[in-house]
Formats: sequence, structure tokens, C-alpha cells
Amino acid sequence: MKKTTWNTLMARHPALFALILFVIIIIINAILQPGLFALETLNNNMRVFLPLLLLAVGQSIVMIGGGIDISVGGIASIINCVLATQVGLNGSMEDMWKFIFISLLAGVLAGAINGFFIAVLRLQPIITTYATGFIYAGFALFLLPNPGGGIPRAVADFYRTTTPFGLPLAFSVIAVIVLIWWYVRSTRFGRYLYAVGGKADAAYQTAVPVNWVVFSTYVISGLMAAFSGIAITMLSGSGNAEIGSGMTLNSITAAVIGGTAMSGGVGGVAGPIMGTITLGLMQNIVSFSGISTWWETLAKALIIVVALAAPGIINLFIREKK
Amino acid sequence: MSKKIVMIVVAMLTVFAMVLSACTPTAAPTEAPVVEQPTAAPIEPTKAPETPAEVPADDGKFTIGISNPFISSEYRTQMIAELIEVNAEYMAEGLTTELVIESADTDVAGQIQQLQNLMAKNVDAILVNPGDVNGLNATLEEALAKGIIVISVDQELNVPGVYNVGIDQKEWAKTSAKWLAETLGGKGDIVQIEGFPGHPANVARMEGVAEVLAGYPDIKVLATDTGKWDEATGQQVMSNFLAAYPALAGYWTQDGMAIGALQAVMAAAPAKYPVVVGEGRCQFLKLWEEVLKTDPEFKTIAVANPPGVSPTGLRIAVNMLMGKTVDTTKLGGVNGESFVIAVPWTVTNDNLAAALDVCKDKPDAYLLDGIMTNDEVLKTYFK
Repeated sequence: MKKTTWNTLMARHPALFALILFVIIIIINAILQPGLFALETLNNNMRVFLPLLLLAVGQSIVMIGGGIDISVGGIASIINCVLATQVGLNGSMEDMWKFIFISLLAGVLAGAINGFFIAVLRLQPIITTYATGFIYAGFALFLLPNPGGGIPRAVADFYRTTTPFGLPLAFSVIAVIVLIWWYVRSTRFGRYLYAVGGKADAAYQTAVPVNWVVFSTYVISGLMAAFSGIAITMLSGSGNAEIGSGMTLNSITAAVIGGTAMSGGVGGVAGPIMGTITLGLMQNIVSFSGISTWWETLAKALIIVVALAAPGIINLFIREKK
Repeated sequence: MSKKIVMIVVAMLTVFAMVLSACTPTAAPTEAPVVEQPTAAPIEPTKAPETPAEVPADDGKFTIGISNPFISSEYRTQMIAELIEVNAEYMAEGLTTELVIESADTDVAGQIQQLQNLMAKNVDAILVNPGDVNGLNATLEEALAKGIIVISVDQELNVPGVYNVGIDQKEWAKTSAKWLAETLGGKGDIVQIEGFPGHPANVARMEGVAEVLAGYPDIKVLATDTGKWDEATGQQVMSNFLAAYPALAGYWTQDGMAIGALQAVMAAAPAKYPVVVGEGRCQFLKLWEEVLKTDPEFKTIAVANPPGVSPTGLRIAVNMLMGKTVDTTKLGGVNGESFVIAVPWTVTNDNLAAALDVCKDKPDAYLLDGIMTNDEVLKTYFK
């Protein structure tokens, strides 16, 4: 009896486990780090998590549609290099806005290239985006061979220290994302997205424009990667062509911890948002637990593995009890 | 039905936000606010120091934090181990507490998080081995504003107020380049294997090499390729070079790749070895000894890139925290805030035996090193 309850619960609410984990991690972190909820600490954490959060949301949408995008880090790097080289430390606000707009267009374009290969030419998503990821990372290196450049200090300070409504800036961004997603889900596109990710053939037979839906998921992912690139540029205040390379895999991890299924058709944006914060707080927990340096990496990796495996382990236990 | 989740989450976030805004005092940013928490059962005996940064934490001892974003190299492993060792001296004297070490493979955002965590732990000084030349600037300035002493080790930063401790990378490369040019008698064909293109240390080193070689017009650089500071890649690149240019007079390379490059030459087993640039690592010295058995005329040089600059930086930090005054006339570098450390080892055939002696009880990966003593640091850099 209990088995069905748990299983159906998990099937219906894939983000439920992410939510449980999220709460547990917050509690552990708060115990180890008593000042966690002070506005400054909270903002310090959230401003670091936001770039990955934006990337993970885009990644989740691709994954819901049944694909995967491992070029997102490369796109974020391009945006970082464009802003750092074109705006510069002494650039005007006008330039900043102009190049933020250009960055978003570049993100959409990069996503559209991925989408074209995958939806129109029907290439494997993982191989395609792996390859285009190198192209994007290479292009970033071409734009900015040596780390340097930057954006005006005022822009970086705005990102780092603004706290609208007495809350970290990231909370407002999250609220906007959740509201938009809430609306999108109720549209026809939202329903198509899950249909395509769940069973593309069946969706096709019921006259869902599968190609367009798949194409659009990569465009959305490219756009989110551009936002992520803007955020990481504002966080670091400078340019580095390598900046996004480590973020790709983290975005997938965050999405999966957030209950997004690699097989498609399952997930949302609340999951990756919680997943990203969970992933970031895990780092804090390892840091504040006072564990020996040499064990830090292993400890963090173990926590991630446990977090990923936990739903399966729980299922196993329930099955055995029966 | 899944709409429900979204609603639940939104509701949760709202509640979460309300709770937060309710219990967060609009505190001045420099305070270390103690927020009431359900910490009824402290799991561990956490002794989180709650004092402002300037005042040394519990019973006047200093706490020093380390931030390192890259762990997959022997250099960093040796660095961390030596930092712990040197700090143990000061702990025994009752001057410092246990080091707070943030060390894991991570990116710019991750290192910013490392630094923020160190600040949250109220350290008195931060030693940072920066993974990005500019990306940490704003965060380091926040640390300075809290009265924390910030020292960048191994990599020079240009942030006013942040001190640098390290060797002069350009001079370091010039030493071996000059030796190579002179040993070749000022003429011959050579190749170069460089580290990561664009990495500041590599850029400085290659500039140094180019400057030296400009003075020897008869030395021709046939090709330059990157070995990515990786032994296997260095070996592969060298094999390709040997196939393309069998009559090389010599080559210039850097630490991390010299072992692989020499192994490639050894595999080709030439009658006469080229003049090569090596690295200050025990494994290289042992290969060197081996080659000398087959070719007694073999010439190479190893200039140490010492991880010991970090523990030396720790000594500087402790003395600064104790209120001793830095003799600013002794500092150099981009912004005049760099403690430039002398290279402890330059090994040629003349002193190979002495260097091999050091390696006797060390693992192959050990890097020839030098840590300044407390007295040396005081005498060299303080008033």
C-alpha cells in the first residue's frame, strides 16, 4: 500500500524529492553556518548560484523535450567575452545595454544553430551539442585569447549588492522565471513540450509540430545561457574564455537533482532552481563541516551521488519491506 | 497536477521569503549578525568565532584562510601540505589556529564562493591562489573592506591593497632560455613547448623567452606548440617534433611537460642528445641521471618553480598580523605590492648530485622547493 503511495507521489511530483532534499540541505547548512540567513550571506550565496541557476533552467527545458544541451557553457563563455571585450571597464551604460541586447541575440542564434542540427537535420543531441560546444568555446577563445577586459564597476556592483524588497536580487529573478514558466505551461506549447519529450512518435501522430518544439527548446536554452553569461560577467566583472567550461556538467547535475528526467517528458523549472541551490549549499556544507582538505572533493561527490541515488534507494527499501 | 507543484513551490518561496525578511535585521553589512536559528542541538562542537574581523578571534590567535581552485597537480598538493606544516609551527607558538582551507577543483564562481565562505568564517588573513586574474577582484576588495589581509600567492594580481607573493615568472623563464642559448653557442634550430596559451604565467614566461632569443639571431625557432602543462601531451608534442625535425639542436619547455618531452627523446634514442630544458622535479632529475649514462655529454637545466612560495606567504601574513611593518621599498611587481621570491634551485650538471640527494627520500612527483624561514622573511621584507 505504502509503495504505491510513494511511487505515485514521486511520479506525479518529480520535484517533490528535490524539495525534500532542498529543505534538508538548508537545515544542515543553517546548523553548520549560523549566519546563513543574514541578508549579506544570503545575497553572497545567491549571486554566486544565479548564473548556474539560469543555465540549469534552460537545460531542464531541453531535457523535458527529450534532448540535452552540452554547449551551454560555451555559449555563456561567448557572452562573457563579448561583454568583456566590447563594453570594457570604462564603458558607458548605453554600451552595456546595447551589448546585453546583442548577447541575448547571440544566445538565441547559438541555440538556433543547435536546434537546426537536431530538429531539422535529426542529428543526435549529445554529439551535436558536444561539437557545437567546442565551436562556441573556441569562438570565445578567439574573441578573448587572454583573460582580461571587463564591464563597468557600477554594473558589477549593481549585480553584487542590489537587494530589492530587502531580498537578494536572485530572488526577484527566480520569481520572474517561475511566473513565466507558470504561464508557459498552460499554453499549447507547454503541453506539446511534455508530449514531445514523453513520446515523440505519439506526439507526431497527434499532429504536434515535433520539430518546432524541439527546435524551440534549444533556442530557449541558448537564451538562458546568454542570461547566464551576463550574470557570470556581472559577478566576476571580467572576461575569461574558460569561464563557462565547468558550468555545463553542473547545469545537468542541478537539473537532475531537481527531478528532471534524462529520458524526457518529466520536470519543470522549480526543480532545477532548487537543484542549483542544493548543489551550491552542498559546497558550503562541506566547507563549514570542517572536514579535512584532502577529503573535501570526495565528500562533496558522495553527497551528490547520494542525492541522485536517493529516490531509487527509497524505492528499493519500500519494495523490500513489502 | 504538476501545476500544483509549481503553486506549492511558489507558496513555499513566498513563505520562505517572508520569514527571511521578517527575521533579517537590516544590518550594517560589516557586522557578523547572529540570526536566531533552530540550533537547539548543535551537531558538532562548532567554535565559530563571532568577533569582527579586525580583532583576532578566540584568545588572540590569528586564523588564516586558504583558497585554492585547482587540486589536480602535484604543485598544489605540495603547496597545501607545506602550508599545514608551516602553520603547525605557529600553532605551537600559540600564534595561529588551525588553517581554514577551501581547496577543490572549481571555476571562477566557485572560487568566489570559497572566498565568501572564508569571510563568513571570520578569518584574519586570506592566502589565495587565484584561478582567474581579474574575476576575483571585487570579492577580494570586499575582503579588504572587512579588514582582512589578502595575499595572492603564485599568481600576481593587480588589486590595490592585495599583496602578491611569488617568483618572477618572466625571470624564471629567462634563466633557462639564456642557458639554452649560451649552451648552443648562439646558433642552431630549436622548438618550443609552451603551457596553456593565455594563462598569465605562460604568457609572462614566453615573453621572457622571446626577449632572450631576440639577442641570438642565429637561433631559429622552427615551431612552437602547447603541451598544456601536461606530461603526456608534452611527450606527444615532442614525438611529433622529432619526426618533423630530426636534427634539432635543442628545445625549450617548461615544468610539467619537460619529463614527457625528455621521454620522447629517450624513446627515439638519438646518438647525440639535443640540448634540452628540464624541470625541477625529482622524476626529471632521475631521467637526467639515466641519460647521462648513455650520453655523458648530455646537457640540461632545471629551474625550480617552488610551491614553497605559499608557505612563505603564510609567514608574511602572520608577521603582518602581528603588526610588524613591511619595508615597502623591498616590494616590486605590477603595482609595487609584490614580494618577489628568489628561485631556490637552478640545477645543471654541476650540482645535479646535490639535487638528487634531496630527492632520495622524496616521491618522484616532488618539486625542488624552498621555504623561507621566519627569520629570513623578517630580515628580507620587514622593517
